[in-house]
Amino acid sequence: MSLPEVVEQLRKIAGRDAVLDRPEDLMLYEYDGGIRKSTPGAVVFPQTTEQVSQIMRLASSVRMPVVARGAGTGLSGGAISQRGGIVVAFSRMNRVLEVDVENQRAVVQPGVVNLQLSEHVSHLGLYFAPDPSSQKACTIGGNVAENSGGPHTLMYGVTVNHVTGLEVVLPSGEVVHFGGKGAESCGYDLAGFFVGSEGTIGIATAITVKLLRKPEKVATLLAIFESVDDAGRTVSAITAAGITPAALEMLDGWTLRTIEAYCHAGYPLDAGAVLLIELDGLREAVEEQAEAVSAVCVQQKAREVRRAKTEEERALLWKGRKTAFGALGRVSPSYYTQDGVVPRSKIAATLQFISEVSKKYDLIIGNIFHAGDGNMHPLILFDIRFPDQLERALAASEDILQYCIAVGGSITGEHGVGMEKRNLMPVLFTEQDLDVMTGLRNTFNRDNVLNPEKLFPTPRMCREVSGPARHPVLAQEGM
Amino acid sequence: MSTTTTPTGFASELRAICGADYVVESPAENICGVAPSLAVTPGSADEVAAILRFANEHGLSVVPAGGLTQQYTGNRPAHADVLLCTSRLMEVEHYDPGDLTIGVGAGWTVAHLSSKVAADKLFFPGDPALPERATVGGLLATGLYGPHRHGYGGLRDYCIGVRFVTGDGRKAKGGGRVVKNVAGYDMMKLLIGSWGTLGVITSASFKLFPAPRQTQTFVSCFSTAREALEFRSRTLRSPLDPVCLELLSPRASALLTPGSPAAAWWSVCLRAAGSDAVLARYRAELGSAVTHEIRAGNEEGFWSAVADFAPTVRERHPDCLLLSLMLPLADLAPVLERAAADAESAGWGLAAIGRVGVGHIMAALWPSADMKGASLDFAKALVGLRSALSRDASMTVLACPEEARGELKAWAATPTDGKSMRAVKQALDPNDVLNRGRFVS
Repeated sequence: MSLPEVVEQLRKIAGRDAVLDRPEDLMLYEYDGGIRKSTPGAVVFPQTTEQVSQIMRLASSVRMPVVARGAGTGLSGGAISQRGGIVVAFSRMNRVLEVDVENQRAVVQPGVVNLQLSEHVSHLGLYFAPDPSSQKACTIGGNVAENSGGPHTLMYGVTVNHVTGLEVVLPSGEVVHFGGKGAESCGYDLAGFFVGSEGTIGIATAITVKLLRKPEKVATLLAIFESVDDAGRTVSAITAAGITPAALEMLDGWTLRTIEAYCHAGYPLDAGAVLLIELDGLREAVEEQAEAVSAVCVQQKAREVRRAKTEEERALLWKGRKTAFGALGRVSPSYYTQDGVVPRSKIAATLQFISEVSKKYDLIIGNIFHAGDGNMHPLILFDIRFPDQLERALAASEDILQYCIAVGGSITGEHGVGMEKRNLMPVLFTEQDLDVMTGLRNTFNRDNVLNPEKLFPTPRMCREVSGPARHPVLAQEGM
Repeated sequence: MSTTTTPTGFASELRAICGADYVVESPAENICGVAPSLAVTPGSADEVAAILRFANEHGLSVVPAGGLTQQYTGNRPAHADVLLCTSRLMEVEHYDPGDLTIGVGAGWTVAHLSSKVAADKLFFPGDPALPERATVGGLLATGLYGPHRHGYGGLRDYCIGVRFVTGDGRKAKGGGRVVKNVAGYDMMKLLIGSWGTLGVITSASFKLFPAPRQTQTFVSCFSTAREALEFRSRTLRSPLDPVCLELLSPRASALLTPGSPAAAWWSVCLRAAGSDAVLARYRAELGSAVTHEIRAGNEEGFWSAVADFAPTVRERHPDCLLLSLMLPLADLAPVLERAAADAESAGWGLAAIGRVGVGHIMAALWPSADMKGASLDFAKALVGLRSALSRDASMTVLACPEEARGELKAWAATPTDGKSMRAVKQALDPNDVLNRGRFVS
């Protein structure tokens, strides 16, 4: 079946106004928050599970690749189509289907925006815990695909810890249920397995999530340090004091100055690094922990520890953190965000290594990250118009991720492997590990119609990994 | 699949893999009414892989086993050729108290793990029955838990990495040793609660938590399950954040804490952790609902008795039907009431406990002494209960008398698609080597 014929079929399934195929429309869907681009053949906007099922059946019968897409805020190329494939965009499946207060659950369609769910249930004193920085835009369907995190995952866990049930359309078009409203289910935990499978197993069309009760008390502290080293050591010291903050974020001096110039969050301009620390829970416990954390910070040579006195002050501190990427956009034409994870005791050494990498490749690298769980986000600044800069940025990024692996960490904590990190999968996993995983993928997605060329390396890459691997972005750009 | 090899034939093969000392013919263990031909105790993941490759090639069935505390669960297997014991998988993969993570071999007992990390003022929240015998591998495979499930989440929340061998002998892993990691498929989720049907777990990594400096247990007594559950709902709506929130039926209290004042009531036991000021706040919030407090010296004993509910009730009532139910919170009251009403009309005994803030209940039903329960009666008891379950409910038959085993399926109810589960089994254990016929059919 030719592409125009497929488009015609898609229009019959989803409606004439629910399919895009003109080049100028498709351009909007050729990228996400990462750095790779690829133009789809068509974009379809289903409104019901039944339509998704029919789309899957059609795509499988003509072996046309399909990728589900929420808001396209992902940072690993997960929502980008293989050239000429079908993007199934969920902006018209964006309803909260049910709020079940007694069972502490909501059932939502995949296109519901993360923050909107929390706003939707706020009057009930409830919220949805996973809070990626893009939460004003990103969708819960996308959060499920990538197993997204956010600052508060330190205490509350990532998306998978908050999903108990899924309605899934399999590549065959069959609609199945994994789990439900119970905290766990008898038999294999396919809901847990599905979360983070990066769109390679099926497409979730209804998601049952946990709703948490808002904490009675929240304390937000800003601890200011002369050096990144002191801040890094403080992270371990807080943990050693037996305190688990709700969030524990670090911003280095360069990054916080860039943010401050952009949004005036009240960050100190002359600091080496700051820690943004949030504690929540029972009033008495929060007060004690806030005091204990302040004491630890001072002990570790914090110059000053400020505490937000009002909700406005708190919101401002977080605004700085959550608009960091926007701030960077002002000072650099392009940036590449990494997502490596290291054991908590290795944070200070990793920051040291990143600064060496920055010198080695002559690139500015900012650091703004989830220090509490060792999830680094080095932001590598470059100008994509200069191929040598892109090449250096990619090489720097690979050096950093190789280091994360070497100290016992991982290449991704919350952004997913997607397109751009799949060449590193063979460093993290053995051939047999990957064989077991791809065997599972093939069980559900036999013809590799769903989100091909994501997550897993091609067999060629596996073989090449011992030599100098060519980064997929470079290969694609013909560099 | 080739023809079945005789036990003596494959004993020598297994001796060649693990050494003669680690292969025992006709072991004493009994797996759901079937005696395994031999028991083998490999010393490494490579040996586990070699055993499973051999079994896969020769059509043998393998029963993975840890501390044998939970092997009474499952349908009766057609046969059990090899009992694969994990007790020699004892390495420490990594442990740095500063990272709040640990990785250990599957053969570690839970008690061993807990006491190792307790020395560094850390806490491992897995609290199965019989922790001195229950192993890390068994804990993951059964996916069972005790009272700390309420405050610390389930294994799926704090198991961060796993190494295993598939039914066809492939060594594989998922996750790693860091607390946040989304690289590759989440294999931990598949293995947790898979009851040894997908792979033999050889080691695992966990998040640890700071050990609470002090705790206090508050007990509130009610005359009906419904009132107790209303108290639970009020507690869940309050700002309180207890580490345990457990319901005990009157008979459960009588069994676990003989002579306790709670034995005549439905009681909710709430365990709080924190400073004096935090505990004072609990006291103030709970107010007159608290009937009595369990003081520091008796607390550990009480909570480990609760965790040991299953073995305790089975020892007293070997004929009991023991169920594990995971329900949406609102379903707990109707299901418990139905179970109580059915038990009363049939003249059966009922003891139930549960992590009622999470939705987990364990219920034991047994025929009275003058009625020898026929297998059909057990099936009937289950039919009644099942009619009270919603689409979202899960039920596992943990134990039943041998004569009823044929009538009852171990995985009795789940909202999850059965065809997809069988597809996963096929992908990881294509020749049905692992726990053949016990859970997946």
